[in-house]
Amino acid sequence: MDSELISYGFQYACYVIEAGLIVFMTRSPQRSRLICPLFYLTCSLGASLGRTIALYKYGRLSPLYRSTYWITDFPLVISLFVLVCLFFRRACADQEKMWRSVRFLLIFVFILVGGVSGLCFSRNYSSLVAEFVVAFNQNLYFTCLVLTTMLYLLLQHLDSVDDQLGLLVCGVGIQLAGPTATLALINLIGAEQFAQALNSLVMRFCTLGMLMVWVYAIVHVKDTGDDDVSRRRRIPVMAEATAHLNV
Amino acid sequence: MTTELVLILTASPTMEGPSRMWSMFGATLILILSTAMFFVYFQAVCQKILRRQFDREYFRSIVNANRLEFPSLRKLLEEYNAPMDYPRLCMTLKCDYLALTYLLKNAANVNQRYSQEERLLIVYFRWLFFTLGVRRLLKVGEKKAVLRLTSVLQYFANVVGERVNTVRFGNLTAADYLLNV
Repeated sequence: MDSELISYGFQYACYVIEAGLIVFMTRSPQRSRLICPLFYLTCSLGASLGRTIALYKYGRLSPLYRSTYWITDFPLVISLFVLVCLFFRRACADQEKMWRSVRFLLIFVFILVGGVSGLCFSRNYSSLVAEFVVAFNQNLYFTCLVLTTMLYLLLQHLDSVDDQLGLLVCGVGIQLAGPTATLALINLIGAEQFAQALNSLVMRFCTLGMLMVWVYAIVHVKDTGDDDVSRRRRIPVMAEATAHLNV
Repeated sequence: MTTELVLILTASPTMEGPSRMWSMFGATLILILSTAMFFVYFQAVCQKILRRQFDREYFRSIVNANRLEFPSLRKLLEEYNAPMDYPRLCMTLKCDYLALTYLLKNAANVNQRYSQEERLLIVYFRWLFFTLGVRRLLKVGEKKAVLRLTSVLQYFANVVGERVNTVRFGNLTAADYLLNV
């Protein structure tokens, strides 16, 4: 009961922060740079509202609510994938050659996930939602976690000065890694009641964590992405001083 | 992702033999990697906050006024690579932490509460402090953890110094005033 209350508290806090962030970003002069988080948050809030309406209308145990849940989960996972792709684009803004390879990889991964999920669907054509959507959502979700890790490593490799992007990526990482670890734990221990409570709590806690990190990144961190001066790689102080002397 | 997914996962047909073993192996691997990634991202967020540039070294006046010891501890480790007296080190870090968190909350802070990033860094400090004991037992990366702890304290001192600097007593800033008392 207590965990349920805490979980609902987290959930409504998430709704409020999501709505606040959407309003802030649409009014921000940097909204063109923030289009990726804005897109994802809008999808997330839309899905949450759709689910809440379905929950009150049909009840938690009804098959209609279940279908609504998975159908709204589908665009949400797609939007998550698009978000990760847009982050990759922003990370490779200076590296056109690298972006071409990354773009090819992302398209390939998406087709691969669709193909693997299609194998589950081909076994049972009668239930699209039960087989394909669930398998596709799970696979794409896990793929997004792997891609986020790759993106984080890429940012480290490029020694990116875009701190805002770094924080946004870390936020997504927290949101994906926490629930994935919980699901793996649940799969190992298999206790149903405990599993439900734990998963619901961790998932909302991680979403809240992601939103808090995003709030910090969007509100407090100056976006240095478009600034040509700051885009330069960090030059060692001695090298910079020598260059000044030569001039 | 969802409670429904949990139901599907737990309701999946029970596997036996090698497939069950592979499934458990996969789940364990994902559990370990995802947990590790969670902490990596958490640490990365904290490190990014700590990388914030202040327009000058505000922490010096706070350190001098409150006789904090973390800069000398840091210098000792970085420059002289001196051996650590663990109980004294813990006491020093803890005392500086308590003093700085008190100042963060009460010194020139109109709201009298921590900001979002300060709360996160407090959690990070406590986590690092806990791992310091474990690292000491395992004798792995002890010095690195202490340096990270001091960088959190330096950030706190910088924030306090920056806030205090905005409050002025005549021609003196609050920090200068404290030093002259």
